[in-house]
Amino acid sequence: MIIDRHDQYSGSGTLARVYALGLVARWMHLASSIYLVGASTMIVIAGRSDRPTARRWEHRILSSARGLAVAALASGLVVLGVQTALFEGRAGAALELGAIARVLTETQTGHVWLVRFGCLVLLSTFLLLRLSVDRRVDWRAARGEGVLLGAAALVPIAAAGHAAAVEPDTARAIALDGLHVIVAGVWVGGLVPLALLLRAAATTEGADARPYAVLAARCFSRVALGAMVVLAVTGALLATIHVGSVAGLVGTSYGRLLLAKLALLVLVLLLAALNRSVLLARLAGDGPTVGRPAMRRLSGFVGAEGLLALAILGIVAALGVTPPARHEAAVWPFGIRLSIAALEGTTGEATRALIGSQIAVLGLAVMIAGGMLRTRRLPLVAPALIALGAGVGLALPPLAIDAYPTTYLRPSVPYQATSIASGAALYHESCVACHGARGAGDGSAGLALPRPPADLRAPHTAQHTAGDLFWWLTNGIPAAGMPGFGARLTEEQRWDVINFLRALSAGYAARGMGSTVEPDRRWLVAPDFTFAVGPTPPRALKEYRGRVVLVVLYHLPPSRPRMSQLAGREGTLAALGVEVIAVPTDAAPDAIRRLGAEPRVLFPVVTEGAEAIVTAYRLFAASPHAEFLIDRQGYIRAIAQSGGEAAELEPLLAQIQELNQEKAPAEAPAEHVH
Amino acid sequence: MRAWKAVVLINLSLVIGVGWGYAVWGLRASRLERELAVARATALAGVEREWIVEGVVRAIFPELNVLVITHGDIAGYMPAMTMGFRTASPKIQEAVSVGDAVRFTLRGVPPTIAVTAIHKMATR
Repeated sequence: MIIDRHDQYSGSGTLARVYALGLVARWMHLASSIYLVGASTMIVIAGRSDRPTARRWEHRILSSARGLAVAALASGLVVLGVQTALFEGRAGAALELGAIARVLTETQTGHVWLVRFGCLVLLSTFLLLRLSVDRRVDWRAARGEGVLLGAAALVPIAAAGHAAAVEPDTARAIALDGLHVIVAGVWVGGLVPLALLLRAAATTEGADARPYAVLAARCFSRVALGAMVVLAVTGALLATIHVGSVAGLVGTSYGRLLLAKLALLVLVLLLAALNRSVLLARLAGDGPTVGRPAMRRLSGFVGAEGLLALAILGIVAALGVTPPARHEAAVWPFGIRLSIAALEGTTGEATRALIGSQIAVLGLAVMIAGGMLRTRRLPLVAPALIALGAGVGLALPPLAIDAYPTTYLRPSVPYQATSIASGAALYHESCVACHGARGAGDGSAGLALPRPPADLRAPHTAQHTAGDLFWWLTNGIPAAGMPGFGARLTEEQRWDVINFLRALSAGYAARGMGSTVEPDRRWLVAPDFTFAVGPTPPRALKEYRGRVVLVVLYHLPPSRPRMSQLAGREGTLAALGVEVIAVPTDAAPDAIRRLGAEPRVLFPVVTEGAEAIVTAYRLFAASPHAEFLIDRQGYIRAIAQSGGEAAELEPLLAQIQELNQEKAPAEAPAEHVH
Repeated sequence: MRAWKAVVLINLSLVIGVGWGYAVWGLRASRLERELAVARATALAGVEREWIVEGVVRAIFPELNVLVITHGDIAGYMPAMTMGFRTASPKIQEAVSVGDAVRFTLRGVPPTIAVTAIHKMATR
């Protein structure tokens, strides 16, 4: 697995050159390994023949395989050297035996390399043995062994690529990648041998092998069709694993390389479709455009497919050393994006999008029906195409939302109480003047602006990603008079402000939340926080996932009756499986002593980290004493606000019981705003 | 040599090679596992042990000679939690009060352990 990132090395000239050499070596290694599988399979597909031209072709393929096996060994050594240099961070390590031995024995890449290299050595030795294959059983054994060893040398490559770094389901990703690689080997590697066979058979001297070549071409065509289906399915699954989003596809170098690969693949598929539907059918017969001329043309086209496939392998080699899109920050290249959220609260636009989508679906259905007809397709397909275009044209514009390069940027600071608290401080320094103390957009300085400042509590925030906010915060909104803070706040500080805004808006939406749990309505994410009790190591709220948590913000002395009550029923609470975390709103470091010895309070009382928790959770409930009931997935489900006086405990126990009985745990909330 | 014989030989050697490698690795892994289990068992069984742990006093039961302490990780014995510990002498619980951050010594043959010494830590 190549963990390195090339930008890391571009600084040093020698390493950059080593990196480029590594890329070329990877390409050579991949192409020759794939050819070895494809050539062996092609021979097996074509079968054994006694025709002199066919035997000459077989010998030619075998001798090219010998050459390429040696090339695979040589390029494999270069790949190993380059790998070592990149692991060690210095070019010289590529030639040091000690460093290479360390990579071989201590890394998974090294282990996989050893297995693959062993298989390659075995394969080249086997190819170099001049074994007699006159008898059928010998021929089958020898050619089958070629396929087996070729596959054994190719498939483990999956365990040393990006698939090996996928978490979770590593084994599934490796299996998918292995299947993808081996099927690609059968198809792509077989193209050049097939082209050579067709060319040999198309000559005057090659007439004896023509029926053999026609049968081989048909058989290969069937195999290739199956291979393409498998490639499409595994490729799509791997793309969702490594890329996962449209933004990743168009906004990262991995995604763009993948798009280039797909573009080349479309060309190859067009050629393949032409070959299969037109030229393959013309192979039989002996007319002026059928038979030999068709065979020659097919040979050329298949060869062209092979060349394009070689280019694709070059891209694959580059993909192997590019960090997968999922782990990169996507830079959105367009000024707009499409989202269903754009339709919220707009009846006219929503109707338009609805009607447009209906027309488009109708057009698509008619087009598919028309495509199935044998004759008179045009009168049906042409209007259907127009309907599809018109429907899409009608439906899409209302879905468009302004987008920025950072729109799909993921926050680099998680949604945590400390981040919210520092965001709140920054907000009160820089934003309050225009956006107002409560974020309503009613600050006094805002009156002078060309456009009134945004109400930051408004629910329309669903239409904006965290990345959108990051863009406005960084660059400002010149037309509205909003200044940019890119120079004044660090990136982390800007994410802090965004986390604060998220909590602010969530808190505004939570103002109606009462002390009763609404069944299966999870929407208010409890911001994570870390806290410590005395000198014990800090813990995080996140560690309590899977258990119901009651976060109690208390204030002494008014909260004393309620705290005594909770402490007195600690056994009941523990029996219900609820974890109580008490947070003093005055953030006193001696909070435990202040609670006193009677009644005994045994649940965690936060002595460190309380300030941030109070700042963040006060956005959800402003009362002096507040109790937040958090479910097993980390969502706030009920908020009880009071002055701290004792009240019946039974309703709270009933709510906890309700949460305990909830089935079908929803997915835990993401750590980040989206 | 006939080709099929050569192929059978190669495949056999491949299977044996892979199988041997796997067996050697597997044997070594299981031996290490056994050694680890033995080491763990001897480390825990019937030997008197001692830990120095930090925590905060949550409750005092003078009549039972018990201190309830929210403590950090006790290496190799128990994770951080709030629980009661028996004290070796009444003087120990008399020396502290609820809310004190403490560093204390636990000694004994698990699961029979007791607090043998306790010191208040400077409040932060």
